[in-house]
Amino acid sequence: MDTVIQQLFNAAQLGAVYALIALGYSMVYGIIRLINFAHGDIFMLGGFIGLLLTTHLGWLPFYLMMPLAMLLTALAGVAIERVAYRRLRHAQRMSVVITTLGVGIFLENLVRLTVGPETRQLPARLPTAPVLWLQNTLGAFVTWDKLLIILLSLALMAILWLVINKTLVGTAMRAVADNKDVVPLMGVNLNLIIAATFAIGSALAAAGGIFYGQAYSIDPYMGIDLGWKAFIAAVIGGIGSIEGAVLGSFLLAGVEVLTVAYLSSNLKNGIAFGLLILLLLVWPSGIMGKPMLKKV
Amino acid sequence: MSLLRVENLSVAYGAIQALHGIDLVIEEGEIVSLLGANGAGKSTALRAISRMIPLRGGDIFYLDQSVKPIPPHRLVALGMAHVPEGRGIFPNLTVGENLALAAWTQKDRGRLAASYGKVFGLFPRLEERREQLGGTLSGGEQQMLAVGRALMTDCRLMLLDEPSMGLSPLLVKEVFRALQEINDQGTTLLLVEQNAHMALKIAHRGYVLENGRKVLEGPAARLAQDPRVKEAYLGVPTPTHPPDD
Ligand SMILES: Nc1ncnc2c1ncn2[C@@H]1O[C@H](COP(=O)(O)OP(=O)(O)OP(=O)(O)O)[C@@H](O)[C@H]1O
Ligand SMILES: [Mg+2]
Repeated sequence: MDTVIQQLFNAAQLGAVYALIALGYSMVYGIIRLINFAHGDIFMLGGFIGLLLTTHLGWLPFYLMMPLAMLLTALAGVAIERVAYRRLRHAQRMSVVITTLGVGIFLENLVRLTVGPETRQLPARLPTAPVLWLQNTLGAFVTWDKLLIILLSLALMAILWLVINKTLVGTAMRAVADNKDVVPLMGVNLNLIIAATFAIGSALAAAGGIFYGQAYSIDPYMGIDLGWKAFIAAVIGGIGSIEGAVLGSFLLAGVEVLTVAYLSSNLKNGIAFGLLILLLLVWPSGIMGKPMLKKV
Repeated sequence: MSLLRVENLSVAYGAIQALHGIDLVIEEGEIVSLLGANGAGKSTALRAISRMIPLRGGDIFYLDQSVKPIPPHRLVALGMAHVPEGRGIFPNLTVGENLALAAWTQKDRGRLAASYGKVFGLFPRLEERREQLGGTLSGGEQQMLAVGRALMTDCRLMLLDEPSMGLSPLLVKEVFRALQEINDQGTTLLLVEQNAHMALKIAHRGYVLENGRKVLEGPAARLAQDPRVKEAYLGVPTPTHPPDD
């Protein structure tokens, strides 16, 4: 019988993965008001890049494989922005939405054709032994990989927070969110800052993909379902807000995991999304969201 | 060599032509004011010069180079700063962050420190308010911040779009005193104003635009005496502006 504590760890692990995806949605939307519906597929791509690196460069330790996969996925994200989105920066919203959906379908098929449609598991590179200390003190059976996934995700989020709030590049990103047109007048290359945002969002999604592949399994279509969940988590938290994306993700994962554990897995999505609708009725622009800033 | 040369510049927004072939010249060290009524094309001219909007015809030479192939952020690195209409403060960045961002192109620590010294010397208020969010500053403080940011780019030419907009007469005086001092320290100013009275007081020369065409030019003192300028722009010392355009 799983204890509540164990369920909370399960929720935290799933929430961490949601958050790593949701942050990318929120950052990109926050700075250029673009909802990148291909972002779930970038998460999937990150997982598969992690899989390829682990199988073909088996000697690479996890702590090198992960940054490398994040870097490669970041480059993919930058390339997608450059090739598919940049020209559409002033286009109608509908054209942009369709393009992002198209890029997502392209990525799904690219991975399916090159790697195959099967569901796979990333070879476990994180220790899977139980954390004895938690077993002894709380009586909870929690494995090291789960704990590490949660802690590494939180560390990545903390680094992101520092980059956004304490570095000049982060200041530039917040300036783009505030008033994009004035940013070049500060001598800042707007395209570079937008590319950096895609790079960071994609790298975080890749970390999420690798963690998900360690904890569960990956397949070329996993980005659709998880992408939507993370997107919804970002909306609940207040899209555009970094803290909101994290909060919304843990909230959504918590509701899902607890519903499965104590009610029924059939009700999982029904209850989770019902709650979300209620939350959005109370906070229409998300828990941490502000009403959209008016254009100055 | 002139610092800035605008030749036969035309700009259009879709089907609406805002500028019909204007010529301007600005020499290093000058204050030149660009006057005109609402919709005359003053802001359009500044936006074209700083490459915020594309040119329809003609050319602009900064330091004898055509600006056409230069992206706007590179122009800033070359010493051209633009204080846009409505100030363009980043409301959710602090005063300190607004200034730090504007120093993006400055790599030299000594010059960076000198720029901060210059800004805080001119506007001590900004130093006191370093931690305050830009959006919570008063209108006058926002204007100081906008000019301060331009100084942080270590500029040689500063384009200013209606720095007196929405300010009380006392603050207008303070801002113009600061502009005078910035010019005394060697920065060239191209000053767009509807407050022709104040602008012609500090400017060396001026141009008057009407419906996208240059209709008058000359030394500031002479323009201030011109009956057409007097009638059109000096009759109303504090012009009213549309809130946003
Ligand atoms: N973004 C735009 N789209 C369409 N037309 C525009 C745009 N910006 C300006 N215009 C038009 O171009 C003309 C010149 O405008 P501009 O803003 O340059 O005038 P201005 O001299 O700066 O006026 P003001 O003193 O009111 O600021 C006006 O007729 C204006 O309506
Ligand atoms: Mg104007």
